[in-house]
Order: sequence, then C-alpha cells, then structure tokens
Amino acid sequence: MEGGGGGGEFSCRLCGLSTPFSYFGQKPPNTRAVVLLEESYVMKDPFSPDKEKFLVLGSSCSLCAKSVCVGTDCSLFYTRRFCLPCVKERLDQFPQQIQAEVAKKK
Amino acid sequence: MASDRRGGGRCWEWDSPHCRAQMDEIFFRPHDYIQAGSGEHKDFWAFFERFQRFKAKKEMSGSKDSKGRASSEGKPPKKAGGVDLGLPKEYDARYRINISVYTKDVEEKVLSSKHGHATSGSGKQEIADCRLALLHFLDFSQKQSFSKLAKLRREQKSLPIFQYRDKIVNLVKGHPVVVVAGDTGCGKSTQVPQYLLNSGFTNIACTQPRRIACISLAKRVSFESLNQYGSKVGYQIRFETTRTLATKLLFLTEGLLLRQIQQDHSLGQYQVLIVDEVHERHLHCDFLLGVLRSLTGLRPDLRLVLMSATINIKLFSEYFNNAPVLQVPGRLFPIQVIYQPIPAEEQSSKSEKLDPRPYLRVLQGIDQRYPAEERGDLLLFLSGVAEISTVLDACQIYATHTNRWIVLPLHSTLSLAQQDKVFDIPPPGVRKCIICTNIAETSVTIDGVRFVVDSGKVKEMSFDPKAKMQRLQEFWISRASSEQRKGRAGRTGPGVCYRLYSESDYDAFAPYPVPEIHRVALDSLVLQMKSMGLGDPRSFVFIDPPPAASIQTAVTYLKEQGALDARAELTPIGTLLAQLPVDVVIGKMLVLGSLFNLVEPVLTVAAALSVQSPFLRSAQHNPDCTTARQPLQSNQGDPFTLLNTFNAWVQVKGERGGGSRKWCRRRGLEEQRLYEMTNLRRQFKELLRSHELLEDEATSATTEQRSQRRDRLTERRRLHQLKRQHDLQEGGRRKVLKLGEGGEDLAGSSGSEEESSAGRGKKKEKDGAGESVDIQEVKFKLRHNVHELQEVANASQDLSSRQQCLLKLLLCRGLYPQLAAPDEHNATRKESEQIFHTRNKQGVVIHPTSVFASDPEVLHVPELERSEFGAEKGQSSRHQLLAFVTLLETNKPYVSNCVRVPALQALLLVANSVDSNADCTRMVVDGWLELCLSDGDGALRILSSALTLRGEWERLLQAQLSKHRAPRRELEKLGENLVRYLLYTEVSYSLCRLTALQTQNLYIGPQPDSALEGAPILNSLFPGVKAEPDQVKGGLRVTSFFTYNCLSDSKDLYSECLRTFWTCPHCDLHMPFTPLERMHHEATCRPGGEKQEDELESEKPVSSSTSSLARVYHCDLCGKDLTLTSTEILKHKRQHAVQQ
Repeated sequence: MEGGGGGGEFSCRLCGLSTPFSYFGQKPPNTRAVVLLEESYVMKDPFSPDKEKFLVLGSSCSLCAKSVCVGTDCSLFYTRRFCLPCVKERLDQFPQQIQAEVAKKK
Repeated sequence: MASDRRGGGRCWEWDSPHCRAQMDEIFFRPHDYIQAGSGEHKDFWAFFERFQRFKAKKEMSGSKDSKGRASSEGKPPKKAGGVDLGLPKEYDARYRINISVYTKDVEEKVLSSKHGHATSGSGKQEIADCRLALLHFLDFSQKQSFSKLAKLRREQKSLPIFQYRDKIVNLVKGHPVVVVAGDTGCGKSTQVPQYLLNSGFTNIACTQPRRIACISLAKRVSFESLNQYGSKVGYQIRFETTRTLATKLLFLTEGLLLRQIQQDHSLGQYQVLIVDEVHERHLHCDFLLGVLRSLTGLRPDLRLVLMSATINIKLFSEYFNNAPVLQVPGRLFPIQVIYQPIPAEEQSSKSEKLDPRPYLRVLQGIDQRYPAEERGDLLLFLSGVAEISTVLDACQIYATHTNRWIVLPLHSTLSLAQQDKVFDIPPPGVRKCIICTNIAETSVTIDGVRFVVDSGKVKEMSFDPKAKMQRLQEFWISRASSEQRKGRAGRTGPGVCYRLYSESDYDAFAPYPVPEIHRVALDSLVLQMKSMGLGDPRSFVFIDPPPAASIQTAVTYLKEQGALDARAELTPIGTLLAQLPVDVVIGKMLVLGSLFNLVEPVLTVAAALSVQSPFLRSAQHNPDCTTARQPLQSNQGDPFTLLNTFNAWVQVKGERGGGSRKWCRRRGLEEQRLYEMTNLRRQFKELLRSHELLEDEATSATTEQRSQRRDRLTERRRLHQLKRQHDLQEGGRRKVLKLGEGGEDLAGSSGSEEESSAGRGKKKEKDGAGESVDIQEVKFKLRHNVHELQEVANASQDLSSRQQCLLKLLLCRGLYPQLAAPDEHNATRKESEQIFHTRNKQGVVIHPTSVFASDPEVLHVPELERSEFGAEKGQSSRHQLLAFVTLLETNKPYVSNCVRVPALQALLLVANSVDSNADCTRMVVDGWLELCLSDGDGALRILSSALTLRGEWERLLQAQLSKHRAPRRELEKLGENLVRYLLYTEVSYSLCRLTALQTQNLYIGPQPDSALEGAPILNSLFPGVKAEPDQVKGGLRVTSFFTYNCLSDSKDLYSECLRTFWTCPHCDLHMPFTPLERMHHEATCRPGGEKQEDELESEKPVSSSTSSLARVYHCDLCGKDLTLTSTEILKHKRQHAVQQ
C-alpha cells in the first residue's frame, strides 16, 4: 500500500460508529487520479460490487484531533475536517451557509 | 469563481459525443477510478447533466442572492475567540469536498494535441466544468454509501439483542453450550452469528429449518457485515450453495448438517454450531440436537449455541447439562386481545362447511372502528384450504361491496406467484385481508399487519402406524401457537388480535404444539440413525423420546423393505437408501431402476414423486387447463403422467426456452416444481453414479464440435452475467395491488395470459433495463445442459409398451407394500364411489387428482371376460392392483400417485410372503390377498417362473450393490423375461381379500413329523437358500418369501406327494413329478439354446457356475457318491427308474 498504513477498527468518537478500515492516508490504493484532501480512514466500498471503489469513513478533526466519522451529525469538511463541537465553538468564522446548516441541526 | 462566471454565459455542447469522448480521455481512461463504458461512467454523465442544469438555474436566480450574501460576508468576523481558522470568506460548495482529481499531465497532453491539430473543441473551461462535476459526483457517491453504512449500524444498535452482545460472546467463549432465547424481532438470527464472527470465531454454521431462511439470512447478514459482494457469509441448501473457501459463516438447513455429520462424524470443519429455531421442534432439529449432544463430549472445543423463542427454554437447557440461558426481550408493540367466541348456532359440525359469519363480523368491526386512512392489514388464520376458500368467498363479496378490502389467500398449494401477492401493497384507503393457514405463523412473515383473526384451529399431520397411514386432522392450537399468531399483529406497530374462542378455551389449550417426532413415521429417521452408527434407536437420548412403538414400527417396516436385516443391521441396499435424501420407497425405485436400462425415466419419476405436484389444484376446475393437460395424462398411472409432463416440458425448454413459462401457465402447472424435479433428478443421478450403480457417461465433449463448444461457453458467460445483474437488482419495489384483485384464479385461462403480460410490462418499467429476465430459466440453463436433458426426455418419451410394463413393475416393487386392491363390486358402482382396500386400511378412495379418479374403468375386470369364465365367479386373467405413493386421511382416506399393475404377476414378483397349498392352486399373499387358480398346471408354471425370475433378479441386484456390475446381457435377459412374464401370463384366477376368520385359521402350523420325505432335494431349489419346515406357518419354507403347503385348507394332504407326468419344455425330460420336484427342476434347468449360447460366449463363467451348482449326491439305489447338479441328479434317478 502506498502512503499511509492499513488495517484496524475505526471508531467515531462522537457517535460510536465502528467499522473496520483497510487503509489510512490520502491516497487509497488503485484510485489513480483521485486523491483525498485529508488523511482518512478508508475501506472498500461495501455497497459497490466493484473491488476498487473506496469509502471514506472518517478522519481526525483538524482542531481537536478526535477521530470522527464523515456523517453530517459528527463532522463537516470545509477545506479541512472539523468535528461539529469544534464548528459550534467557532461558528462565526464559518460562512453563512454552514452556520444555517448547523443551526438547522439543533 | 472566475470559471463559474464565464461558464454561466456560455454553454458548451455536453451532448456532443466528440466533446464527451475528449473528456473521457482525460478523466475516464481504462485504468482510472471510473472507466469509460462502466455503469458508473454512465451514471456520471447523467449526473453531469443534472448538475449543469442545477448550476444554470442557480445562476439565473443567484445574482441577487449573492448580493445579499456578499453584504453579510462583508463584515469581517471580529468576535473570533483567539485563533483565526483562516477559512475562505467566500463560500463555495467546492470547499466541502474532501476529494481532488489530478489530471494535469493528461490535460496538457490532450490540449496540446488539440492545438497542434487546430481544432476547436474542449478547452480549459470544459475540463474545469467536467472536473467540478466529477468531484461532486464522487462526493455524492461517498455520501450515499456512507449514509447506508450509518443507517445499517443504527439499526443494528437499536435491536434489543445489541446490549447483550458482549455477554453472548463471553458466554459462548466460556461454555460449550449456550441457549439464547428471544422473541420475534429481537434480532437473534441475524446478530448472534455476526457477534461471534466479529469476536474472532471462524467456521460458524447456523442451521435453519427452512431453505428460504438460509438464503435470506445469508443475504442479510452478508450485507450487514459489509461483505455483500464477498463470500465470507454464505448459504448451503439442497441444490444451491454460495460457500467458498473464504466462507466463515454458513447458513444451512438442519437436514444438510445431518448429512454432513453422516460424512464426517466429528464435524471437524466447524468451530461453532448455531441451531436456530429449536423451539419449532422439527423432526430433523430434535434429531440434530440429539446427535450434537453426543458430539459435545467428543469435541470439547466445539461451541454450540441453541436459539429459540422464549418457549420451554428449560427443556433445552436441561437436555444440555443445564447450559446457561440468555433471555432477550423481543421487540413487539402492545397488542390488544379480544376474545370473540363463535356462538353455538354458527359453529359448524365436522361434515359441514365453515360458517363465515364470525369472520365477516371482524371485517365489519374494523371498518366501523378504524378510519380507512389508518393503515394496517388483516391476517386471518384458518385450519385448511377448504376453510380458506369458504371464508375467502364470503369476504370477497363483502370486499366488492365496501371497496375497502383486497382479499388474498395464502397456503402452500398455491402457485408461488399467488403466494407472492401477499407482499404487494394495497392502494391507500384499502386493507389487505390475508386468509392463511399456519404457514404465516412462522414460515412467512408479512409486514404491515395490524389485525389478526385467530380461529384457534390447525390441521396437523399425524401418523397412524396401525393403518400405515398419514392423517391430516383438525386440532385446537397450542397456547404457544396462539401467542405466535397474536404476535403477528404487533411487528410494525400496536395491533389487535381477535380470538374466535373464549379465554377458558385458551387456558385449556396445550402449552406447546406436539413435536413432529411424535407425529410422523420414523422410517427415514431410523434408517439415518442406523447409517450414522448410533446404535439402537430405542436407547438414543432424544430431547423428547418418541414412543418405542413408533420406533419399532419403523424398524419392522425397514426390515420388510429389506433395508435392515433380521438383526436390525443395515443391508447393502439399506446403506445406499440411507444416503438418498428421499423416502425409502422412492429410493428403492432408484436402485431398481439402475439395474435395468430404465434409469432415465426412473430418475424422473422418483424426482417427480419427491416434490410437490406441479399440477395446481386451482386449475383443475378450469376447462381450458383440463383440455391442455389431456395429452399429458396416462391411464397407466400418475407417475406416468408426471413423466410425460416433465418430458414435454423439457422439449418446450429446448425449443422455446423462456416460452416454457407460458406453456406451464396454460396447463396450470407450477414451473418451479419442474425446476426442482430437474435438480433433484440430477442429484439422484450423481448419487447413483457415486455408488457405482451407474456407469459414467461418455463425455459429450468428444462428440462436440469446437464451434459448438465455443457457442456454449459464450452462452454460459451471457447467462452468468444475467444472473449477476439479477442478483444486483434484487429487492425491487413491491407492486401495488388493484381493488378486486386477489381471489381469482391465476392459472390457465386466456384472461390470465393477459394479466401476466401486463405484469411483465410493469416489470419492464421496474427493471429499467428494459428486459424481463426469468431468473429461474437462467439458473436452469446454467445448471443443466438442455440438449442432454432433451435427449434423455426423448428416450423416455417413447417407451415401448414392454419398457412401460417393466417400469411399472419397478415402481411397484419400489412402492411395495403400498398396494391397494379394488373392491369386488366397483364395476357396479358409480365413478365417484370406487372403493379400494390396503392390507391395513379398508375402504380407501382415490384422490381426485389421480388419473384413476376420472377414469376408474381401466381398473375393472372386463365385462366380457367375466361372463366367459363365468363358471367360477370372479375368475379372470386381468385383475389389477394399485401401487400408491401416499395414503392420507383428510375427510376420507385417500391414496394418491397411483400406478396400476397386473395383480397375480406383480404379487408373485414383489410380495414378501407368498403361501400356497399343496398343488399351488391357492396362494395367499402377505396374509391378506388370496389368489385362486383353476388350472393346476398353469399355477405351478406361473409360480415356478416367478421363483426363478425373483432368484435371478435378486442375484443380479446383489451383484450390482456389491459393485460387481452384473453383466449387461444377463440384465437384458432378465428384463425381457420379466416383461414376458408380466405380459403373457394368461391364466384365469380369482382375487379376493381374506376375511378376518380366514386370516385366523390360515396356516396348518408346524407339523411334528414332516411328511416331506424328499426334502434333501429341495435344499438346492435355489442356490444359497435352504428349504426347511416353517416353524410358524407349517409347510416348507422354500425361499425367503415362499412357503409351500402351509395353508390349512389344503384339498388333500397327499397332493404334495402326488406325482403327475410332466414334460420339461427345456430339456424335454418327461417323467412324473411332485409339485416341488417340478419347481425345482424348472429352477435349475435352463433352456437348451441358452445354455449353449452361454458356453459359446465364455467358457469360464459357465464352468464355474456348473461346478458351483453341482454338489455331492449320495444315491441310495446304487450306493455311489456323485458330484452332480440338481438336474443331473434327477436324470440319474430316472435312470434307476427305467432300469427297474
């Protein structure tokens, strides 16, 4: 595997979602031109018959470094990964659209 | 963004193939993440178009929007608590995507080549647009998959069993046996195997009572364990498996696991065994538990998990040495129980039709009490098919009046398509009313049920060992079943259960249903136990032992069938029968068929008799179906009709492929059964071959042309692809039912053809692919070679009358002792009142589905003949018997799947016990049928030939079973002789059943001083059989089945010593013989011509056979010891007679 390491159990620190991952890093195997913009926990997409398709499970929050899943209730990506608690703390630094989105959740 | 602004004004040609091709060259190259031509690639372009339209729309309305936003964004964030995150101020959806695509190198190449050729085409703008769309597309698919995953995990967590996950794993780690008890909806069947798998156990097997559950659980669990496209989780059922070397968790049927234990006693291939639904107490499951109980001692490392509903848990725990029990609450919504006992005036007696009024009142009540907008369907439990159709009719009328109900029947004799309808959705404001048997109690689960009506009745099969008959009787259900039925109302929301009996009735119900092992014939079970070396079945520790008498009946039966010997050990044929997953009688047919050149038709018949009948009952009253079925019918018997049907279907398959579906519908046939038959007959064939009862087929590959082979391979690839596509598409949306749909007959009729084509149209829309795939047809073609089958069908389609005759005999010998004799007075009775008798049950009738029910005359002794031989009443050469497959009592005792055979010949050739008087003019078969022949000479001839034929048949059969293949020529000869015997034995006789009094005084009993002086001679009547006085019946036991002169009413005591002149047709020997001497001579004297043939063909076997037949004979007259064959001894004696 190029780049990052592989294998283990990924567990979201916020929602507890837990599932095995097969790769951690920015360049999952056999993805060619596709690159990830963050170091992510990745598995083979279990819902695709194609062996090469990957699924990003989560990554670390760029602020608090907690492992969080990519689910919209736990984190969001805006040039970097932020866990929702960190987003809420600095909500005013985020653009209007995101503020509205987060407000809707509460 | 700059690109955005530019793009808004200009619209490049997305649709231009040229343009797309260029984009494909950049983004979707052969090794890229998404490749041109793939399904995803197609999806992308569809997405792309939507995306562009969306962008365009947004930009149209976006100008003022962005102005407003600009002003708010204009304020710099001041209040930020310290750290500036440095986020871009202007929002762009692009920043939300954590994926990037690097294609710079390719872009440059493409662009530069473009400039070189000076073509105006896709430029930077197009590439940017496409890239952006691709990023959004990738992000979109990520989100889609992730939300699936999240939903899955959420659902798993919300199951009641989830919180016991660690506890279960720890229990299993610490104990050899664990009982997990949980009610419907707790998730045990899907989750427990996963918990164990995730905690590091591998090689887990999980048994299910039903095949369908194996498939659906394997599908669900592989999906949940994110291995949908792998084979970590698989299933194995009779004809299908998805198991590979990678499989760690296998769902399989109880029966199959038992078969595996038969092969490998310690089950070394598994680490954990989960036995699910143990509370259902199926025969196989009870037996399996017994076997596993002894296995736990043998394999301390094996982990055993029993899963049950919360019924009688103590029983299971105690049976396994007080194994720990983990009880999990179920997830049921509250259910209101309303007791609504049926008033006396509406209760029907046994003979009457059910009164539907109490059931209608429930429907009315629901309509009054619950607004139509509140969804919720009704499930109505009745005992049987007749009851269902009565209530269905009444409800149907109510439904057409109110337009608020769609009424659907559900029971196992419906076609699968009809059964499937209960899962379809009613239109808004309309409820489904599903009227069902107890099939919906456990086997079939229908969502959306809010109301349950419980009649409290069930029809259950029981076995009457005395009459050797199955009985389908109506009973009150048990409290456990009652609760199970109730529970069906609370699966998706709160519900109501109407019990049409009183609470005191409920309290009086038995706590649990009677386990199957107490209700059924145990023949197959005992046979299997014997073959697994489990010792005496009576001492086996069952969880709930069956009555000893029941086991004894089975042992006796198996002895009668020749599967067990006198010491109750397996015989060679018994060993083989134990391997065959069918009834003993069907197994026997297969073995017998392998002997003669009739394997193919026998395989078909055996398979056909082992599956549910393909003839749908509902189509019987449809005149179009009846007409279309006509050419398939054979008045030889139902097995022949089935054979014809299968053969005709195979021809249709070969010629028209998918057209067979329509062909079946026209005739009211359930095609699924024919597919099952095809699979089964192949399994039989493989089994016979693996036991060397069949020669390996000459490989067809040699005769196949290379081009043909290539075509076949291409075809296979195409079929595999179709199957994969189908597998991917599965779980399509349910159809919406139409008012007035349901009760009417689907089978046959031109009307239903229309309906089905409409159905196909709908399917087309659903599939999207525009092609309706008959997945059964695809599987069939993948599994079988149609052309080979066609050849086989051709061969058995045109059976000569001789072959047909032999086939009938084989079926009869297989089915023996399941024989029925027509009542003497049938000829004078109405068609519908024909009566038959079996040895143990008087007055049975032919099931209306049988050909003999509609055509009973073929069973009558011809009128003409009866008067011709009028001298003695009832004398004829045309008496016939019925061999039948099942005897089942419902409202009457019915025999079904019958075949007719000539009585005298069949009895003498297959019966276990033939007793005669001194001149053999009176014979009693199996102690219940008496045959009286007026022609003494004929009687001897017939009996004698029967003995010879049987001796030969037995010898060749044994040879075959001991894997010394019998010489083909001898088999052919035997076949010919049997046929000749069946067809050309023209002797007049009477056939009647013995009265009770006659049976009592049937035998003379043992004689103190045997009058049989000539006994030594008889020792060699048949090689290997020693004739000796019968200790019970008296007379002389000549062969294992024939006892001579033991009937008490012998006309005169001396006729056995009386010699009459007779000329042997073979050797022309003319001298006086006693009846026994004559039989003996006939048994040993072979036709002259034949003997020579033998000698010419091969000298060795003949010489050895002569020497084996010859024995030392001491002649009292000349005082010499001579080595002679029996015939030679007779000749030698005659010499002395002449000399005197």
